[in-house]
Amino acid sequence: MKSAAGWDAVIVGAGAGGAAAAYGLCRRGVSVLLLEAGPQFDPINDYPLTEANWELRDFPEKPGSTVSVTFAPGQKLTGTEPLLVSGSRGMGPVVTSGTRWMERYYHVRGVGGTTLHFTGESHRIHPDAMKMKSRFGVAADWPTYYAELEPFYTQAEELIGVAGPQTQGARWRSRGFPLPPHPLSYAAQTLGRGAAALGLDWQANSRAALSRAWNGRPPCNYCGGCNDGCPRGDKGSAEVTFVAAALATGRCVVRSDSPVLRIEVGPGDRVTGVLVGHPDGTIERVTSPHVILACGAVETPRLLLASDGLANESGEVGRNFMDTLGVTVGALHPDPQHARRGLPSDAICWDFNAPDAIPGVIGGFRMYNASGESELKGLAEFALRAVPGWGRAHAQSVRRVWGHALHVGAIGESLPNQHSRIDLDPDQRDRFGIPLARISASLDEPDVARLRFMATKARELLAASGADDIFETYSAWDWFGASHVFGTCRMGADPASSVINGDGRSHRWRNLWITDASVFPSSGGGEAPSLTIQALALRTTDKIGFDD
Amino acid sequence: MRRRDFIAILGLALLGGAATVWRSFWQPRFNERTAQTVKVVTDLMFPGDGGLPGAIELKIHDRIIAMADLHETMAYGVGWLDSWAKTNGASNFLALDEGARSAAIDAAFASETEDARQFAVLLRYYGALNYYSEPQIKAAFPYTGPPQPEGFPDFQGPPQ
Repeated sequence: MKSAAGWDAVIVGAGAGGAAAAYGLCRRGVSVLLLEAGPQFDPINDYPLTEANWELRDFPEKPGSTVSVTFAPGQKLTGTEPLLVSGSRGMGPVVTSGTRWMERYYHVRGVGGTTLHFTGESHRIHPDAMKMKSRFGVAADWPTYYAELEPFYTQAEELIGVAGPQTQGARWRSRGFPLPPHPLSYAAQTLGRGAAALGLDWQANSRAALSRAWNGRPPCNYCGGCNDGCPRGDKGSAEVTFVAAALATGRCVVRSDSPVLRIEVGPGDRVTGVLVGHPDGTIERVTSPHVILACGAVETPRLLLASDGLANESGEVGRNFMDTLGVTVGALHPDPQHARRGLPSDAICWDFNAPDAIPGVIGGFRMYNASGESELKGLAEFALRAVPGWGRAHAQSVRRVWGHALHVGAIGESLPNQHSRIDLDPDQRDRFGIPLARISASLDEPDVARLRFMATKARELLAASGADDIFETYSAWDWFGASHVFGTCRMGADPASSVINGDGRSHRWRNLWITDASVFPSSGGGEAPSLTIQALALRTTDKIGFDD
Repeated sequence: MRRRDFIAILGLALLGGAATVWRSFWQPRFNERTAQTVKVVTDLMFPGDGGLPGAIELKIHDRIIAMADLHETMAYGVGWLDSWAKTNGASNFLALDEGARSAAIDAAFASETEDARQFAVLLRYYGALNYYSEPQIKAAFPYTGPPQPEGFPDFQGPPQ
């Protein structure tokens, strides 16, 4: 085994949280080794959006770029939920087994992490959603306040170049967004007329995509392909923002293809470093005064549990798992929209985002223009999903309604429950012999009630916009396909019920820190998490002392 | 729920069907007549319209027939179609006229027999995927080219 030292801090994971932590430390003059399990992507050559068969390709997979997880059996589906059954008119229902389909954890390993394929929504969490326990009696309170996080939100937005509107309701701001909002696409304008008819607010979404050139990056050209990887670099994924800024200090070294296998401990309640696997199978020991974990809400608890249950004095590591509570509804409009034109998720309705916004159900949600994000991205998918049947009549229908689809998405609060957790699979291991993470996820009735309300509102918005011919619905009720996951190393003031303290440090281990969404005590009302992860990471790196 | 894996969707939809009784005493093989039947079904499903070529002209059927991992499904599906044809007074599916062939395909989609439904769904899926991804077909529809490097300068206005 080789050994390496020489960095003030080692960060595990180069996604939203790890990249922001690297930048936060480097700007303080601290040297950082940023370890990433996955590869470095090459946007020009790896991403498919200039290729003739672009619609048949997805965000690329490279060796080591996908995470291996296993799933506990899916939840048995009870009752009938006509608004929530996933499927399309053309393809039929997705799930016919009567059990929630545990399809996939949509996580990217690579320098930039899951931000490489994220849509790029850039949201601050609703201040009230940080106090779910004391205000509403569910989940747990954040051991901090919006006001304390606000300066770090501003710093992150400035580095990314977030484009957004003047105001966002309860999310008060000390400074405006660095860039003006993007103009609404034609489809978003159509949906905006429906929102107005319903008396709903409908505004430009705040986006980590440049509305003007910023820090040497070009403005967005509205190709609609954010989820396939941005070849231009205008999308504010972590590798073109925080990683680039950390590297520019000269104090950061990034190592891709370097999975961390174990965290090692020493005397005095301190960790000493990590063991890193290499593609050739060899293992390297890297020592460091501080270890910062940022592998996401599935892989961070896995690493801790695989390190003999490190930092699990409370027994909470892996518990309180919250997944992506989402529903997307697609409908045909009488007039052509060609809704893939423009920025995905360019418009949003925050009216139901507060935790008490849904009558009789705790936890909020937001609705958005999901037309570009629903991945109805090419003619073939449209022909398969939007138009039933086959033969000449099918062909004629495809010709008649191509481009008429609109989609509305809704993402809501996901509350923790005792059944949803991450643990180590007792049978499955990776190539280094480390047990894989096993995901158990189920929804309680309040989550399903929230989903019903979300689906109802999405349908109402489509109908009010003139698109009442619904042809597909996808929902988390019968389909686990999470990309936003939270809660498995909860932060809190009480060491008995949380893993890290309000600064982001392990309650016991004095130099072990976490800066990813695993620390979220509650998920928020559907906000995209990356900006909050980054703000928390910047805040945590300000707390890390190098004299203790 | 952001990434829709079509193959996974399809795979799941087709999972869980109990092996049909007739499978227990009948083992079909993929052969030339299977391929010919697949070609005919593909032609019926994607005949072309509005001056566009059909799937056969574009040789979509050859791509489907070349998918060796689907040969067993195709063989069972063709066996089911032939069985349907016999029930309806013909020696096999290829002996039916076009109207009856279409009725047989409709019956396959609606069948509770997993082999029949799998065959119909798979042929529709791979047929549509290949046919509507064909450059000659895409060229007849607006906004089907690669989204980069130009993007969509007209994104704020009605479609051109």
